[in-house]
Amino acid sequence: MHIHAYEKLWLAASVLLILFLLGSVTYGAVGPGIAMVSDSEQAIDPGALDEDQRFSEPRVEQVGENEYAAYVVARQFRFQPDPIVVPEDSTVTFYVTSADVIHGFEIAGTNANTMVVPGEVSEITVETDDPAEYGLICNEYCGLAHHGMEGKVNVVSQSEFENRTNGGDGE
Amino acid sequence: MGRNETAHAPAEDVSGDTEEFDPIGTLTLIGIYFVILVLSWVYIYYIEFLGRDLIVVG
Amino acid sequence: MSEAIEAERTFVDKFPEEARVVRAALLGSFLALTLGAIFGIIQTLHRTGIFRGLISSTDYYTSLTAHGVFLALSFTTFFLVGLFTWAVVRSLDRPLIDIRITWTWYGLMAAGMTMTGVSILAGFVDSIDMSADVLFTFYAPLQAHPMFYAGLAVFIVGSWIAGADWFRTWLAWKREHPDERIPLQTFMVLTTMAMWYIASSAVAASVLIFLLPWSLGFIDQVNPTLTRTLFWFFGHPVVYFWLMPAYLLWYTVLPKVAGGRLFSDPLARVVFVLFLLLSTPVGIHHQYLDPGIAEGFKFISMTNTMFLLLPSLLTAFTVVASVEYGARQRGGSGLLGWLTDLPWRKPEFTGMMLAGLMFAAGGFSGMVNAGMNINYMIHNTIWVPGHFHLTVGTAVALTFMAATYWLWPQITNKPVYSRAIGLFQVVLWFIGMALMSNAMHAQGIMGVPRRTAEPEYSGFEYATMFGGFEELNIQIAIGGTLLFVSTVLFIGNLVLTMGNPKVSGLAETLPPALSGPDDAPRVLDNLGLWVGIAVTLVVLAYALPLAAIINRGGLLGPGVGTYPVWLASAFDVIANSAPPLLDAFGEVVEVIR
Repeated sequence: MHIHAYEKLWLAASVLLILFLLGSVTYGAVGPGIAMVSDSEQAIDPGALDEDQRFSEPRVEQVGENEYAAYVVARQFRFQPDPIVVPEDSTVTFYVTSADVIHGFEIAGTNANTMVVPGEVSEITVETDDPAEYGLICNEYCGLAHHGMEGKVNVVSQSEFENRTNGGDGE
Repeated sequence: MGRNETAHAPAEDVSGDTEEFDPIGTLTLIGIYFVILVLSWVYIYYIEFLGRDLIVVG
Repeated sequence: MSEAIEAERTFVDKFPEEARVVRAALLGSFLALTLGAIFGIIQTLHRTGIFRGLISSTDYYTSLTAHGVFLALSFTTFFLVGLFTWAVVRSLDRPLIDIRITWTWYGLMAAGMTMTGVSILAGFVDSIDMSADVLFTFYAPLQAHPMFYAGLAVFIVGSWIAGADWFRTWLAWKREHPDERIPLQTFMVLTTMAMWYIASSAVAASVLIFLLPWSLGFIDQVNPTLTRTLFWFFGHPVVYFWLMPAYLLWYTVLPKVAGGRLFSDPLARVVFVLFLLLSTPVGIHHQYLDPGIAEGFKFISMTNTMFLLLPSLLTAFTVVASVEYGARQRGGSGLLGWLTDLPWRKPEFTGMMLAGLMFAAGGFSGMVNAGMNINYMIHNTIWVPGHFHLTVGTAVALTFMAATYWLWPQITNKPVYSRAIGLFQVVLWFIGMALMSNAMHAQGIMGVPRRTAEPEYSGFEYATMFGGFEELNIQIAIGGTLLFVSTVLFIGNLVLTMGNPKVSGLAETLPPALSGPDDAPRVLDNLGLWVGIAVTLVVLAYALPLAAIINRGGLLGPGVGTYPVWLASAFDVIANSAPPLLDAFGEVVEVIR
């Protein structure tokens, strides 16, 4: 089959481009260590969140030295807890599930973003920096009042976190 | 039969033309596109994406 | 019959029955385009806050469902079946095997789309207890009226019969031409439909086995991750179902319109085979941020997706080279000077060229979407609609409109009413889309979500990046308005064309490729082989993930409820949210005290 030399050149360049894109994503996984949302958590019964130790009381709590867990429930049409308050310069793992339909969990303007599926728990770990206030958006259509579904994620100083949360309970 | 791209085979052999036509303009345009793609990707991935808050590391 | 008289006969002269089907299909397509465009302008003004007086924000989701289904399913598929009928009959130079079967599949498609359309539009009418505010993707456990799902099933079955119609016609031709290569246009149709059978099987299964029985009350619940995954099994290849007809036009008609010839027939075949192989085993890239699916499966999907860039990148070269050939034939010279020696006054030419140019930009945002971890940045933001308005919204839609200026005279013997309006309309589309899509990409990077009636929130402000949120909203509204005006001009021009008297002398033939089918290895025509490999790749990509999903949550789901998006239930939900909200308010009051 005759392929013109220029087109062969373009074919080679295209393959290199594809490898470069794949390589970039791989670098992101290996260098900065970006991990994808996955099936790391067990499936859950969305009708029985009250009986789940994590989600019966949505909260932020300390689980290690400078490590925190945020147990978040998304439902039509709000997030619990709201606001989600976490301390600065720490490692925070969000565990997010839905009590009803599929939602989204997007900390606006950042890379913290995940689907929230009833029956599943999304687990994402991030490292907080300086104190900041972020908007929390449900970015998956979840019903007729979807546009009103918002929350806040507030990164506060260590002292403010301790005062506010009385040793670990959220809102 | 006519020079249509139909079931009837074309009367003359046309592959001779391919040897004479070098799409240098196409190569140039697509080369420019390639450069734009690479630069745009470097910006969007390494600067924009890796530069923002709350990267998911676990 | 002498060659001269042969050349004078248009498609409708030679195949009047088939031409009638093609016209009916195109008109169905443009009806969908008109409805979709009306919802588009309503949405663009509502969402950006320019004018929210026409519909309520809850009705916005009805509009959005209609916009998505009518444009991304009805407009595209009806155009495809019309175009493919023309292409098969033209390239095989014979009529379809049985025109009654043809009208049957057309009728099924029309009936199915009407059923689904009615179920969606009923959502605007409070007194009718029927709605389908579930959007184009209809994710469970949001639930639509049963007629929504039933209509989709009927529509898809209609498309399957259309494919069978063309396969059987080709087989009849093959019996009479046993050693000939499959003519290129028919080859493109057959590979596209083979891809479609594989792709649509999963969503048909999801609808018929789970979603329809569930909406009828025969089963209590469905597994959201499973039905989502089956949807995206279909949801990615459907974009190639939209693109491949556009590529057919770029490869076989655009060179003619440019005064050139297709640079390489064999490469065009390779491209279509690559789409058959790679379009389907990639759907999980729409689920990069799904819990319940392992990272390994997502990585495999990414690799397949990145290689799926290859046929599009090759197409760019081949198509531009074909046009360059035409320009140089007309006397064009210089490295880039030949660009001026092209028929830019022809709306069919300029429209397709602008569509291709815009597709190049859409290809970039597609590369970003294909990246696994960079998906965190743009998933479910308005970047995504920014991307697909460049691709299906322009590469496909604008190509379809441009091609109509060339094709309609072939199937009616009527000249276009105004080529000047046609040219203005395609350029206006390009400008409008450039404004709108660019602003959507910028807002997406700021984190502005897609699929929402009101993207502003009370608790926070978006960071200003490539412009402020409000300015970008205005840009979206202006772009969207220009698109709407362009659509009105297109439809108006077509309606006036239909009123023109018939003339003779409009026949156009398509020139042979520079490197013809005989230069293509015979193995390319071995459809059975390619289908076999395609199915294998799909099984490899999906067997384990699907098994894992079913294992985790069960075939029918892990205790998930049902959430009909019907008015009555919406009120219930709001009522049920009230006690917890009051509790929360009470706690806040406690804390303050």
